[in-house]
Amino acid sequence: MIVDTLKKIRLIRKTSKTFLGISALLMLVSTVALYFYLRNLLQSEVEEELRSTEARIESSLIENPEPFQLSPVVEIQTVSRLGKEVLKDTIIYDPSQDEMEEFRELSTFSAINGENYRITVRALVVESENILIAVVISYLVIILLVFLFLFYVNRSRNQKLWTPFFHNLEQMKRFSLSSDAPIALMDSEILEFSELNTEIKLLTNKVRSDYRNLKQYTEDVSHEMQTPLAIIQAKIENVINMEEPLDDQQFEQLTSIQRDIQRLSQMTKRLTLLTKIENNQFANVEQLDITRLMAETVQDFCEISNNAIKVDFEHPIKVDMDPYLASVLCNNLVSNAIKYNIAQQDIVVGSTVDDISISNAGTTPLKHPDSLYNRFYRESDGVKATGLGLAIVKRICDLYGFGIDYRFSGDRHMFTIHFGKK
Amino acid sequence: MKILIAEDETELQKSIATYLERDGNVCEMASDYHEALYKIDLYEYDLLVLDINLITGSGLDILKLLKRNRSETPTIIISANNSLDDKLEGLDLGADDYLTKPFHLAELNSRIKAVLRRGKFGGNDRLEFHEISIDTRSRTAYVNEQALSLTRKEFDLLLFFVTNKGRVLSKEIIAEHLWGDHSDLADNFDFIYVHINNLRKKLTEAGAKYIKTAYGSGYKFVEE
Repeated sequence: MIVDTLKKIRLIRKTSKTFLGISALLMLVSTVALYFYLRNLLQSEVEEELRSTEARIESSLIENPEPFQLSPVVEIQTVSRLGKEVLKDTIIYDPSQDEMEEFRELSTFSAINGENYRITVRALVVESENILIAVVISYLVIILLVFLFLFYVNRSRNQKLWTPFFHNLEQMKRFSLSSDAPIALMDSEILEFSELNTEIKLLTNKVRSDYRNLKQYTEDVSHEMQTPLAIIQAKIENVINMEEPLDDQQFEQLTSIQRDIQRLSQMTKRLTLLTKIENNQFANVEQLDITRLMAETVQDFCEISNNAIKVDFEHPIKVDMDPYLASVLCNNLVSNAIKYNIAQQDIVVGSTVDDISISNAGTTPLKHPDSLYNRFYRESDGVKATGLGLAIVKRICDLYGFGIDYRFSGDRHMFTIHFGKK
Repeated sequence: MKILIAEDETELQKSIATYLERDGNVCEMASDYHEALYKIDLYEYDLLVLDINLITGSGLDILKLLKRNRSETPTIIISANNSLDDKLEGLDLGADDYLTKPFHLAELNSRIKAVLRRGKFGGNDRLEFHEISIDTRSRTAYVNEQALSLTRKEFDLLLFFVTNKGRVLSKEIIAEHLWGDHSDLADNFDFIYVHINNLRKKLTEAGAKYIKTAYGSGYKFVEE
């Protein structure tokens, strides 16, 4: 399964992001709530104050009916009729400040001693507004600091907490089936992590032992098969050379068995080789001239091939690889071309700066080029092949980081090996 | 020749012995490590055919012991193991040849003869068959002292025929002898016919008609 890492987010970042998001939301909501609550509170406070001032003025008017002014805070007027009480905000000139100011204003009408008065009392809004702002800002600052502090504490705490997890993740990324090095997991006081470690260890051990068994099995089977095959082979030869002659048909049958024995033996040899490549058992890396090796291989095969093999190398290509695997690579590519070539057509081997290509004639492109390098994949049953040659070629290329591609154009199957590092 | 076959599969032992004894060799068998050691210690052999995986021990250990005792018995290893390392180890230890199972008895026979030629007779590189004489060192064949001009493969083929004279050789055996693992490449054996026919023609022209067709598709090198 391939995980698209670009779309993924780091754990610590994710938790931090969530924390920041929730904090911001909480801050916003609580500040708004605080603002309205406080404003209400302050307003009712002002209103109460205005009412109490008004009550005091009323009682003073009872004693002294003469209306007095204390602009802009208190205004008393005598009116002909009583009106409705009005509570509102208003902007009027404040001489003490020498500017227009916002006031909260309460106008009431009351009849005292047979006289109708309109009493207007005002209180400066600025004061309560200032208090409101001061409180909200302090709140904001405090809560912001708290959140920031919490954020950093939380993050470093999280990082510490998850350290074993990240460490173990790295270990698992580096886990290799073919290596025998035990996986070094960091223990944690956290129960879940500890459990996870136990499971990882169990799994990796299981996977490794299964893999080892499988390898061993392949090797054993291939190995154990050789001796019985040798017995069959030897017996056939003795039968062929018996005193009493066979008839031609019996001989034909026996030689056909010889052919099959050879196929079986080839197959097991190649399977063993594949396993060995996968086990990294070819550690003997040397610099060699792959073009020269290819030319020598072609020379060897010339006699077997029914058609000409044309070699045209521009200049030598040096590669670092195991000499044995290099010769296997060349052998398999050439023999593949010979096997699938069409009669009376040439096989062409060529090179450019850092790749070698080999092509043989064909009539139709492969039906399943994706499966080309799979074990035991054969395009047709017509040709007797083990179906392992190209799988081995691919493995060798993978081992050294060479690129390989297949193309069909101009009625030719062409394989190209790119020796430049990918 | 007295040959010891140290091989734990008795069926294979017997088959090898049957084939080799037809050439007048005397074959003795050893079925495990101890028996092999015991017989080597007690008797002199002209050649040792040694399996690496003997049930009770490794053939390579036997080889080491032999070389430590300065034995000059030529040895051919037969092993189910195809790995290059094993092959090199065996040859490093002083084995004269290394053959991977499964092998053709004709192949084993020709290897045995090659080893014996190189060893016992102090480097007698000549092989004689009536008027045919083969110099394996200069890789030249003569008929009545007249050198034949043979290609590399034709020479190998002639040598193979002469060492396995009187035996029926199928195309499969010949192909594997000449091209080893690559012989599975061609499902028709046209390329063998070409080589055999050329060799036959050259021998016939020189007056040596020994290559006969057997059972339609096989060959046999026989005295007339």
